[in-house]
Amino acid sequence: MLVYILKRLIAGVITVWFIATATFIAMHQVPGDPLMNDKAVSPEIRANLEEKYGLNKPVTEQYFIYIGNMLRGDFGISFTQQNRQVNDIIRDHFPVSATLGLLAVLFAAAGGILWGALTAIYRNRLPDIIIMFLVILGISVPSFVFAALGQLTLVNLNSLVGRSIIPVAGWGSIWHMLMPSLVLGLGTMALLTRLMRSSMLEVINEDYIRTARAKGLSTTRIFFKHQLRNAILPVVTVLGPQIAAITTGGFVVELVFAIPGLGRYFVQAVQQLDYTVIMGTTVFYGAFLVMMVILVDIVYGFIDPRVRLS
Amino acid sequence: MQITETPILEVNNLAVEFATHGGTVQAVRGVSFHVAKGETLAIVGESGCGKSVTVQALMGLIPIPPGKITSGEARLDGQNILNLSPRQANQFRGVKIGMIFQDPMSSLNPTMTIGDQIGETLKVHLGKSQGEAFAMAIELLEKTHIPEAAKRARQYPFEFSGGMLQRAMIAQSLACNPSVLVADEPTTALDVTIQAQILELMQELQKSENMSIVLITHDLAVVARMADRVAVMYAGQIVEAGSVDDIFYRSSHPYTLGLKIAMPSNKHDRDKQLTPIPGSPPDLFMPPAGCGYFSRCPHAMSICRAHLPGVTDMSDSQFSRCWLQEAGAPDVPELHQRKNLPEQQVTATTGPLDAG
Repeated sequence: MLVYILKRLIAGVITVWFIATATFIAMHQVPGDPLMNDKAVSPEIRANLEEKYGLNKPVTEQYFIYIGNMLRGDFGISFTQQNRQVNDIIRDHFPVSATLGLLAVLFAAAGGILWGALTAIYRNRLPDIIIMFLVILGISVPSFVFAALGQLTLVNLNSLVGRSIIPVAGWGSIWHMLMPSLVLGLGTMALLTRLMRSSMLEVINEDYIRTARAKGLSTTRIFFKHQLRNAILPVVTVLGPQIAAITTGGFVVELVFAIPGLGRYFVQAVQQLDYTVIMGTTVFYGAFLVMMVILVDIVYGFIDPRVRLS
Repeated sequence: MQITETPILEVNNLAVEFATHGGTVQAVRGVSFHVAKGETLAIVGESGCGKSVTVQALMGLIPIPPGKITSGEARLDGQNILNLSPRQANQFRGVKIGMIFQDPMSSLNPTMTIGDQIGETLKVHLGKSQGEAFAMAIELLEKTHIPEAAKRARQYPFEFSGGMLQRAMIAQSLACNPSVLVADEPTTALDVTIQAQILELMQELQKSENMSIVLITHDLAVVARMADRVAVMYAGQIVEAGSVDDIFYRSSHPYTLGLKIAMPSNKHDRDKQLTPIPGSPPDLFMPPAGCGYFSRCPHAMSICRAHLPGVTDMSDSQFSRCWLQEAGAPDVPELHQRKNLPEQQVTATTGPLDAG
């Protein structure tokens, strides 16, 4: 198991290095640079700025300086926000995104497993048809539509009660987190429901389920002890990338609900070619994704004994 | 062989069909047999003849729908087990009848230890605690000669070999001391040396536990070794049944003859080609009006096509479902025919025309 984790970690470090390099190359291929946005910069000031940020050096040298700083945990200073460290931006805003993302994933996983199991039990009957219709809706409707609908619902709810019980936007209390995480998790929940359903239907035809019935076990016991645990494996597999996707992809929902998450900076930085922020957030998100995948691999090992030893 | 005591398991006129998109398949068409205490009944036949469906129907393992038991009854110790509620059925499954399957590799839950899976039966049916059940599971594994049973009980199915898994399956099926063990092709997925070991184990446990065995197989060598009595199934019906000697030495149905001829041998006639039965079984979406074996039978007569043969008793222990057992039928030298028997040996008779 230790070797298994160690192997994953080494592969993870290589992956992150790859992400950093690819981002660096792609970023420098984009025409222009971070200083281009400033109006009427005289060549002297521009040269000074280039000197200050090291942009006048050859690209390969910049790359090695950058990788060197990154290894020391220093992502540099933002170009567009005066003297703000990229590390500070991540430290201030990532926990917000992470909290929102984690809640959304919890919600998506619990819902997906529950609804998936239910549809499998009621296969081709009314509950299955209704839930699967909603699932298609959840997969095809973009999250900003749900976000707007969610806000509308809250507005109506609050006006019905006569006071603001659940805030419509903003960040702070657990009440603020409720609707955005629900909206953010909806797509993933729909995805997991479908996955869980097909997985449950596959497992129910397995020979060991027949054995369990021949042993005289009740349907409930077979469901919980034999079917669920085996059916959940594919769901756990996709959970890792999904955690990362939700946490990093939440900026639309963050924008609609006015949540001070990292997503906004990520998008802004790309628009403004803020080299250091692009690199910092991308590498950070990349590392986060890799870590989530490793975490899921480890959890997987606990659920499926076959993985543990191989 | 006269059956004196009441049989432990008795099946009468069982019929099972499946509704599919292509129509209704009549998988089992009126099967009757009985199993006495401590005896082994082998049900033989080729793939798709309904032998597995028959025993799965008994165990209530057929998904309903699409499956449907259209007629018949099955009595276990006198109690009909085909019309039970799921709760009632769970009181005999795994308790009075244990079952093992063809592929031990896929028949055990991959995410549960062997000991827990065996112990589960004990917990559910005998109300044992986790600790007691696990200890008993280890004893059961020892009974099936699994070395280092205590260590093995903590392992998962993927850590076992096929033969060991089938031993574990047997241990699991024996947990509640069943009176009948249903073995659905228990050695088909195993290699030959392991097959022999598993069969030996089954025979040993049958004696020590005083069980009856219903053995489903298509391997006549296994039949010869294990069975007291044999039922030969074809196209959803039992075409011939009798003691193991009746079937091998006094075959009274052309299909049984065909099976015997098709048996490969490693002793004689090495250079001889294998003689299969030509053709394929009839389409059970539309079962033939006459004998199911008609199209493949080398001795088929015109009556065989249109009319289903009735049951002819060959002796107290043997019956056949073939028009060649009719009084005026032509002689078939290799077939054991009733009309050639000395008069006094023929006792009970059911005229084929009465039954058909």
